[in-house]
Amino acid sequence: MKIRNYWNLRDFGASTWENASRPVRVAIALISIVLVGLLPFMGGSILATPIASFDAVLVYPVGMFVLMSLGLNIVVGKSGMLDLGYVAFFAIGAYTMAILGTTTGLNTWEIMPIGIAFAMTAGVLLGIPTLRLRGDYLAIVTLGFGEIVRLVVLNSSWSKGPNGIANIPMPPNLGPLKFELENQKVFFWVVMAMIMLTIWMIRRLTVRRPGRAWEAIRQDEDAAELMGVPTLKYKIWSFTLGAAVGGAAGVLYASKNLYIAPEMFTLNVSILILACVVFGGIGNIWGVVVGATILGYLPDRIRFISDARLLVFGLVLVIVMNFRPDGLLPRKKREKAIVKKGANA
Amino acid sequence: MAKIGKTLLKLDNVTMKFGGVTALNGVNLEVKEGEILALIGPNGAGKTTVFNVITGVYKQTSGIVDFDGTSLGSQKRYQVTGLGVARTFQNIRLWGDMTALENVITATDVHKKSGLVGALFGLPRARREEVENRARAMEILRFIGIDEYSDRLAKNLPYGVQRRLEIARALGTSPKLVLLDEPAAGFNPAEKVELAATIKKVRDAGYTVLLIEHDMSLIMGISDRVVVLDFGTKIADDIPSVVQNDPRVIEAYLGVPADAS
Ligand SMILES: Nc1ncnc2c1ncn2[C@@H]1O[C@H](COP(=O)(O)OP(=O)(O)OP(=O)(O)O)[C@@H](O)[C@H]1O
Ligand SMILES: [Mg+2]
Repeated sequence: MKIRNYWNLRDFGASTWENASRPVRVAIALISIVLVGLLPFMGGSILATPIASFDAVLVYPVGMFVLMSLGLNIVVGKSGMLDLGYVAFFAIGAYTMAILGTTTGLNTWEIMPIGIAFAMTAGVLLGIPTLRLRGDYLAIVTLGFGEIVRLVVLNSSWSKGPNGIANIPMPPNLGPLKFELENQKVFFWVVMAMIMLTIWMIRRLTVRRPGRAWEAIRQDEDAAELMGVPTLKYKIWSFTLGAAVGGAAGVLYASKNLYIAPEMFTLNVSILILACVVFGGIGNIWGVVVGATILGYLPDRIRFISDARLLVFGLVLVIVMNFRPDGLLPRKKREKAIVKKGANA
Repeated sequence: MAKIGKTLLKLDNVTMKFGGVTALNGVNLEVKEGEILALIGPNGAGKTTVFNVITGVYKQTSGIVDFDGTSLGSQKRYQVTGLGVARTFQNIRLWGDMTALENVITATDVHKKSGLVGALFGLPRARREEVENRARAMEILRFIGIDEYSDRLAKNLPYGVQRRLEIARALGTSPKLVLLDEPAAGFNPAEKVELAATIKKVRDAGYTVLLIEHDMSLIMGISDRVVVLDFGTKIADDIPSVVQNDPRVIEAYLGVPADAS
């Protein structure tokens, strides 16, 4: 006899959402957004992080991790390609911000589309030759790409090599909303907006043709190709969209940190983001959000135990993955169409 | 019986070698519009290889494959599908974690124009195509007689339904030519009769069928013509009653101790 029922938050959430009428959905969404938006004011509560300020932790690592995990999840979760070099796109975004921000008069918002474009271009250029590879081969090539990008910025003069780039400008204020180092609420709201935009994008795509193509590729790529799915094209799209999100995160990161250096863009970042995806529930947006939030927040919350915190972090990973191998909120396996409900004919 | 028309698919002297193994040896084959052509032969004769060469899984060592006036040699696999050739797999290869309906809808996407941008911004054409796809896929499931399973995950379907879903998915691509690789494998006699009726229905709906099958009685009942392969070589190509009594065919089958039914 089961002592406790398998806690199935995912299906509970999904069915609540499906059964809700439109106004109820809008209300749920708005209330959630407001609640999350108010999070930075919770710095004095039990949630507080002992050393770093709470709102700064919410921006980085938490918000950034969520954003990057969502981007990586498009590649790894949706279309099933193992990318171990995701940090490269983050780095490209960050360096675009750093270089253009310090040498031209452009501000963060003007550099944002440029950084995204560079990251996407890199995604396409890397994707065309490599996405014919599968599984482990792809993982190794992408891993190599991540390292190459880091080594290039480490050894180039335009990137100031190991010294990194300092004095990167902060974003200009958005009306009454001021970007400040001591008070990062506005940064948090910007990250939140970017996260929402990413979620919107993924949800839009997954209920329509691209989502089906990715799903088919993930499950049986040869069958997909033989049923008329241009698999390379959709794989490149997946890779490129993931790159776009990574690049956007990089631009904001540089503009928040004001200083970047090659050692911030190591393989560890790629692995950590991948861990967030797998921990939360590969392929499930909400799982990824929860996973990245926990893995981003936990090390700062338990900073008071100093070195032991990494041990605890590792233990949490091992224990959770042991009991929930598909992650905290696994990909849906319910019998429901990957087609828009309203498309009912 | 449907009217038999012009040549739709033509294999001209096709040879396929895998290292030292010659899976196909100078095979000539014509499939005419509107017919059911059966491709038979003992295990390992090269039947599936014919499908793999047509659909671009393998590139033939030599020879020409021409479909409806286009040489398939230089086409990518998904382009071949787009030109109007669809197949099923001898070992079922559905997308198990998709529902039956999604499997077919995914196949219907091949002739649609909208892509990523349309999906992202919900452009009118993308929305319209979603509705069309869904309706079409449902219609196909109904046509094949498995619409009651539309919302079930493919991997959870009964074996026979999965086999039928493979056919439905192939029809989803709106092909001119359907390649069926042992669609009745593992079926009992009653199921085979039912499937034979379905295949006939598919042909009568205007599709041309190239069918690999081991069961002679099934083949004799529905095919217009039978081509026999043995060790990669075509040894017979005629109407069923003639092929059935061809001594070379009988020998090829009797030469194989394992049951060929
Ligand atoms: N990818 C491959 N590499 C090497 N040899 C292959 C390959 N594919 C097929 N062959 C060989 O080609 C020959 C024909 O195989 P094929 O699968 O076409 O036979 P078949 O007629 O479909 O047989 P069955 O009735 O068992 O399905 C066999 O000897 C097989 O081992
Ligand atoms: Mg075979």
